[in-house]
Amino acid sequence: MIRLEDVAVSLGSFSLRDVSLEVPSGGYGLVIGPTGSGKTTLLEAVAGHVALRTGRILLRGEDVTRAAPETRRVGFVYQHYHLFPHFSVRENIGYGLRGQGSGVRDQRIVELSEMLGLTPLLDRGVEGLSGGEQQRIALARALAPRPSILLLDEPFAAVDPATRRALRRELRVLHEREGVTTLQVTHDFEDAMRLGDVVAVLAGGRIAQSGSPESVFRFPNSPFVAEFIGTGTVLRGVVERASPDPAAVKPFAARFRSGSLVLEVVAEREGEAYAVLRPADLLVSKSSTPGPAPRNRLAATVIRVEHGSAVAHVHVDVSGVALAAAVTTATADELALVPGDSIVVSVKATAIHLI
Amino acid sequence: MIERHSRWSLVAWLLAALLVLFVAGPLVRLLIQANPASLGQAFRDPELVASIWLTAVTASIATLLSLVLGVPLAYLLARVPFPGRRIVAGIVELPVVVPHPVAGIALLLFLGRQSPIGRVLADVGLEIVNSVGGIVAGMLFVSAPIVVSASREAFRAVDPKLERVARTLGDSAWGAFRRVTLPLAGRGVLAGAVLAWARSVSEFGSIVILTFNPKVASILIYDRFTLFGLPAAVPAAVVLLLMALVVFLLVQLLAPDRNAGHRR
Repeated sequence: MIRLEDVAVSLGSFSLRDVSLEVPSGGYGLVIGPTGSGKTTLLEAVAGHVALRTGRILLRGEDVTRAAPETRRVGFVYQHYHLFPHFSVRENIGYGLRGQGSGVRDQRIVELSEMLGLTPLLDRGVEGLSGGEQQRIALARALAPRPSILLLDEPFAAVDPATRRALRRELRVLHEREGVTTLQVTHDFEDAMRLGDVVAVLAGGRIAQSGSPESVFRFPNSPFVAEFIGTGTVLRGVVERASPDPAAVKPFAARFRSGSLVLEVVAEREGEAYAVLRPADLLVSKSSTPGPAPRNRLAATVIRVEHGSAVAHVHVDVSGVALAAAVTTATADELALVPGDSIVVSVKATAIHLI
Repeated sequence: MIERHSRWSLVAWLLAALLVLFVAGPLVRLLIQANPASLGQAFRDPELVASIWLTAVTASIATLLSLVLGVPLAYLLARVPFPGRRIVAGIVELPVVVPHPVAGIALLLFLGRQSPIGRVLADVGLEIVNSVGGIVAGMLFVSAPIVVSASREAFRAVDPKLERVARTLGDSAWGAFRRVTLPLAGRGVLAGAVLAWARSVSEFGSIVILTFNPKVASILIYDRFTLFGLPAAVPAAVVLLLMALVVFLLVQLLAPDRNAGHRR
């Protein structure tokens, strides 16, 4: 278990403040945030490389706030691997196994090398290896002493997309096989969706939101979180009650106005707000009367269509506001949409998330 | 533009050639001046051999002391942002700008019998006037900044994250330094030590104030030149120059790999 309680760190002009987070034993936590938000500092604080100004860090239920890094039993993998250049691959992996018998050490090195496909590289130096190979060595080195906590600093940031996908799969398998509680920092929300049990969004040294990846993605609590993780289009506007009855219970039917765009929504409060429209919640049709009628049917003009392998994103203009809808490529092909087409975009009032 | 560039290149080459000639010319001239017979005689001269031996030993002691005292300081300067770090770094580099006879006088005042520290040193048998201790003190004063500066740069070239990784793999701070930082910075530290040794061997200004006798090689050469003229000084000068050339070659071989320890 990794538990951070009101952690604050000051490093020059940068500071982490009020950071509280818990990753359950054997869980996979992700901290996501933009460059400079303090992600690496947070990991270094957990590892004991950075002193806390205030707060506590508990690992495995034990307070390690003042413990030296070598006593915390954590494995650390930096974004740029930081393999020891004066050692071979074998020596790098076995670095943390000093004091164990050579038989045990060799067995562990072989076990991890086979698991990560490093066996042919064991007796060579680390110079000239590919990013993926170096990342696997760094992972094997961190896991070799069987740490109960694994800290990963943007482990996929410096590798190509194919290697990233392969490493993600391997990491998930390793995590399950080794049962190690993992905390990874990343700027890629896809990592969180594919790997994480718990996710925290870090912004300007503070946790902006935390929870399950699905809940953070579906219900971002601020425009920053919604935009950073790419939940959908974020519109700024005003919420007004649909009926003038001030005694209506919450939530109540309302209208959200953003410029000339008016959406029917379900709201908890009136006044200034942000509306988040997820691309997957927007329906696209060429007909003005699409089957079961959602509350919002909006006349739109196609701006462009981006085709992916399974999903196409249809970018449209609705009353001067740019929205994006996600449809299957099959639907996109059937509709044969081209820029300038007039279509209807529909969205249920309950699918619009208000912040 | 091309024409101007070409003219500038020509001027640059001419100026560079002048400086190279100015530096190399006297040294080559000195080597030519010494014939094999006079060199052979120099190596059989007991006073010269003893002087060179004394120079080598005292320079080695001064270099060792520079390493023992200077490497920890260099590491702190490279890694730990303590208050007054720039001031400490400046103090350590001061000997570079202090004229060496001035350094000798300062050392005499600080470590001579008239000072409290000098009296304590004398009580434990460490004289610095006309003694080996004085030679070592003069050499240490001028060579320590070289060790500190070279070591600091060598430590700076090693990414601190390598030490951090070593710590999470079970190393203490000392263990990470010994197994990761020092091996990666070692060539730079060693190159600094060799340069410091060479600087010690060539020291004259401070030693002549502290310890005229026993004579280190630089003082012996000066003594022979003033007493017997150029022909008497040349063989000893050539021997010292050859020592310097050997050191120069060593430094070239030890020049640290600029990529060592850098993230890739």
